[in-house]
Amino acid sequence: MDKQLELLQGTLDMLILKAVSLGPLHGYGILLRIQQISKDRLEIQQGSLYPALYRLEHQGWITSEWGESENKRKAKYYQLTTAGKRRLLTETENWNRMAEVIAGILGTKPEEV
Amino acid sequence: MRLWSQFQSWIRAMAHRTRLESDMDAELRFHMETYAKDLQRQGVANEEAMRRAKLEFGGMESAKEECREARGVNLLDSLVRDVRYGLRSLRKDSSFTLVAVLTLGLGIGASTAIFSVVENVLVEPFPYPDANRMLTLEIHDAAEQQSSGRAEYSGPEFLDYIDKNHVFGRVIANASLEVLHDAGEGTERFHGVLTTPGTFEFFGMPALLGRIMEPEDYEPSAPPVFVLRYKTWVTNFAGDPRALNKTFVLNGVPRTLIGVMPPRFGWGDGDVFIPEKPSRADAARTGEFPPVWYLVGHLKPGVTERQAQADLTVVANQLAKVYPKSYPEHFRVELRSITDMVVGRFRATLYLTSAAVALLLLIACANVANLMLARATTHEKEFAVRAALGAGRGTLVRQMLVESLLLAVAGAALGIALASVGLTSMVSLMPQETIPAETVIRLNAPVLLFALLTTLLTPILFGLVPALRAARNNLEKQLRTSGRSTWGGSQHGRFHDAMIVAEVALSFTLLVGAGLLMRSFVALRGVDLGMRPDHVLLTRLPLPPEQYQNAAQVQSFYRPLLARVKALPGVTDVAESSALPPYGGFSSEIEIPGQTHSEKWNARFQLCSEDYFALLRIKLLKGRVFNATEVNDARKLAVVNETFVRKYFPGVDPVGQHVQLSDLQHYPDRVADPSFEIVGVVGDVLNQGMQQPVDPEVWIPATVTGSGLRGILVRTSNDPMGLMNEVRREVWATNRSVALTFTGSLESLINMRSYAGPRFGFVVMSVFAGAGLVLVTIGVYSVIAYATARRRHEIGVRMALGAQVRDILQLVLGHGTRLALIGVAIGVPVALTLASLMQGQLFGISASDPSTLIAVTALLLLVGLLACYVPARRATRVDPLVALRYE
Repeated sequence: MDKQLELLQGTLDMLILKAVSLGPLHGYGILLRIQQISKDRLEIQQGSLYPALYRLEHQGWITSEWGESENKRKAKYYQLTTAGKRRLLTETENWNRMAEVIAGILGTKPEEV
Repeated sequence: MRLWSQFQSWIRAMAHRTRLESDMDAELRFHMETYAKDLQRQGVANEEAMRRAKLEFGGMESAKEECREARGVNLLDSLVRDVRYGLRSLRKDSSFTLVAVLTLGLGIGASTAIFSVVENVLVEPFPYPDANRMLTLEIHDAAEQQSSGRAEYSGPEFLDYIDKNHVFGRVIANASLEVLHDAGEGTERFHGVLTTPGTFEFFGMPALLGRIMEPEDYEPSAPPVFVLRYKTWVTNFAGDPRALNKTFVLNGVPRTLIGVMPPRFGWGDGDVFIPEKPSRADAARTGEFPPVWYLVGHLKPGVTERQAQADLTVVANQLAKVYPKSYPEHFRVELRSITDMVVGRFRATLYLTSAAVALLLLIACANVANLMLARATTHEKEFAVRAALGAGRGTLVRQMLVESLLLAVAGAALGIALASVGLTSMVSLMPQETIPAETVIRLNAPVLLFALLTTLLTPILFGLVPALRAARNNLEKQLRTSGRSTWGGSQHGRFHDAMIVAEVALSFTLLVGAGLLMRSFVALRGVDLGMRPDHVLLTRLPLPPEQYQNAAQVQSFYRPLLARVKALPGVTDVAESSALPPYGGFSSEIEIPGQTHSEKWNARFQLCSEDYFALLRIKLLKGRVFNATEVNDARKLAVVNETFVRKYFPGVDPVGQHVQLSDLQHYPDRVADPSFEIVGVVGDVLNQGMQQPVDPEVWIPATVTGSGLRGILVRTSNDPMGLMNEVRREVWATNRSVALTFTGSLESLINMRSYAGPRFGFVVMSVFAGAGLVLVTIGVYSVIAYATARRRHEIGVRMALGAQVRDILQLVLGHGTRLALIGVAIGVPVALTLASLMQGQLFGISASDPSTLIAVTALLLLVGLLACYVPARRATRVDPLVALRYE
């Protein structure tokens, strides 16, 4: 496996929102899902997950609810809010646009300047 | 929207702290245990799985901490922690805290209390809206510079002004009237004010009880009504609301009381207000003097004073042709606002006190700045360490801000408390008549805010210094500084020194001001009155003119009255008198047979009964005073004072000589041959007030004429005011139409008129000077103490090298003394300038009095030395070895 890429600053939030958009999950589940979707190519600090979750909840993009996990244990499940859905869309759009711009800059040949 | 939902989330988190904690704990644990289980499923051993789970998770506590921060819960926690830390640190450095809080409190308290008085009296003496656009009209004779002008107008003239002017919206007028109220058992006298239509609306004052006058009340055919002033309602009508709508006989006319005004209304100083509509028919009224109207107009919006002046000059010129007798040949029109009229008299005093307030505030701020900076340097190292350990700039700044705010709050609380106390005590000391009746003096909110803002900015500003410096990158340098520096060369040393010099200069000014006022007051108190005013009750008794026209009739009132009052228990002496010492009554041109003179000769004269001199304990120097029989027989005898003898009988024995009081020939009850034989000489009694030299004076028996307002003096063995009701009863028993006026104790009258003003000024200034001195002492002490503490190392070196205690003391004291001397040097010109502005208030002493300056200098130097001495001695007690090692 290639070496895992370090997460760029600020992108964890986006990833969490995306993960949760696919269905309500508890914290550990979110981590697994991100790893799953990214095919394990991203390096995610476990410790920074929960502060991010708390921040996102504080800002109103996700809500939480206590429920039962697969193995019958109490776990806190997170869900995307309507505002959160909108936020995810905006952030995705911004990200894509930004990536395009950066790629364009980085791909500039000497003679195009 | 997001902000709102964030706020809600924060509230929820704060409200359910414990649940938040347990939830967070459960959640994180779940995560770790689930991960551990997954690892186990992959084949890792039980304990190893747990260990790896924990490891890869990272610190649980730090994760929890970050979660807490994400929810904003931390903020309050940090604040609370900062406050606790701040309190602890302030308590540890208790002397600093105490001094800082005291300084702030004193500065805020004194300045707010005085400022409130200044603001209430100077800027807003009347509660009427727009009072500075309410103008009075004065006609000044252009030929006489000093004259006070004419501000009274006849009824028709008043109406003409209203008709012809273009600049006033509403114009009203008031006239004074003596009102006698038949109170059943006797007569009371009130100061009546006639008001023209629209007066109460003009001032925008509704009635407290009942109603104000309406236009119908002013019609000549309307039922007679009147309105009471609040103070009069309380003192003379027992504050009884049932008095409303009852009828009272005023000047023989039954009038209905229709309203009582609120406490702040006292226009024209009237006790009762009576409606009167001036008409052109006034001039034709016979049998009584038409009222003389004092006019006030309210400028129309948008009209400037200058325009009004121009317009009214035109009108006045027109009217000068209609009423030629009332206008001088060349005159000018002057407009003054009603505010200006009252306040103009003592504007100087009030500005002076404002200057003193500013000085005191400056001293307080300088002190606090010094204290905060000194403390800052102590903190610097601590902050450098904390920054090195990872404290963010925000944390440190917040910490210092909280600490400064704690100080500021404590200082503010003390300041407000001191301000309230100071205000109440100042108001009780204020002389009654210097403020118009309408003023209410209370703590003024904007003023308090101003004082709070200016003085509290200082600790906050100067408190931030160490935090901001620590946040810079020079941590290494700061950690390494040993704190060593030589004398006077520290980073802040010059700033501290400059502050002290400034404080000393300002304090010097205040002290000189207080000193001059004190000496002036003492000089005033030391003036010999020439009599003993204690335990004397006095009252003026204006007699109804129709009943008392000649001497015999007047005496038919006074003789029995005097006998009756003398018989009252507790009375030692009674006398009839026409004058009210220390003012001397009537004056007359005199002639002395056998002496010729080119200029006019004048003397004051008084009518009195035989016991007058004994009652006031006036010293008899030569001859004798007239006795009861002589007074009874209305013998034409006279007693004169020393000044009279000095002026008119220099070197000659006046006893047996004659003096003629020429003016008595022109009095209503004239004396045909006003030649009096001098029988005695008494010591001078002040008769031109406290501050003017004594005029020559002549006393003659009261029985000689029936003219002249007089009253009685009663000397009692106990409190004179306690006998007032009895005296009033006796007066009314003798004749119930006689009203008592100007009743009071002679001592308090003199106090009020002559001493109260200067005493007030002196007390106020002393408060400032005292506060200033305390602050300066604290300032010098703290700066010197701080300086010596920082230089322990250097002192240790000096002592190790052989310096004696004496040398160290010299070093420290020398520093302090130098600062004090520079401060005094700067202070002298400032003090002299301000003192010269005060000259009008001083009695018996010049504004540049050198002995005061010297005394104040000595005081400041002494205080400075004392303040330096303690830290200096402490410095010498340090063991040199300890000092050398101390960094």
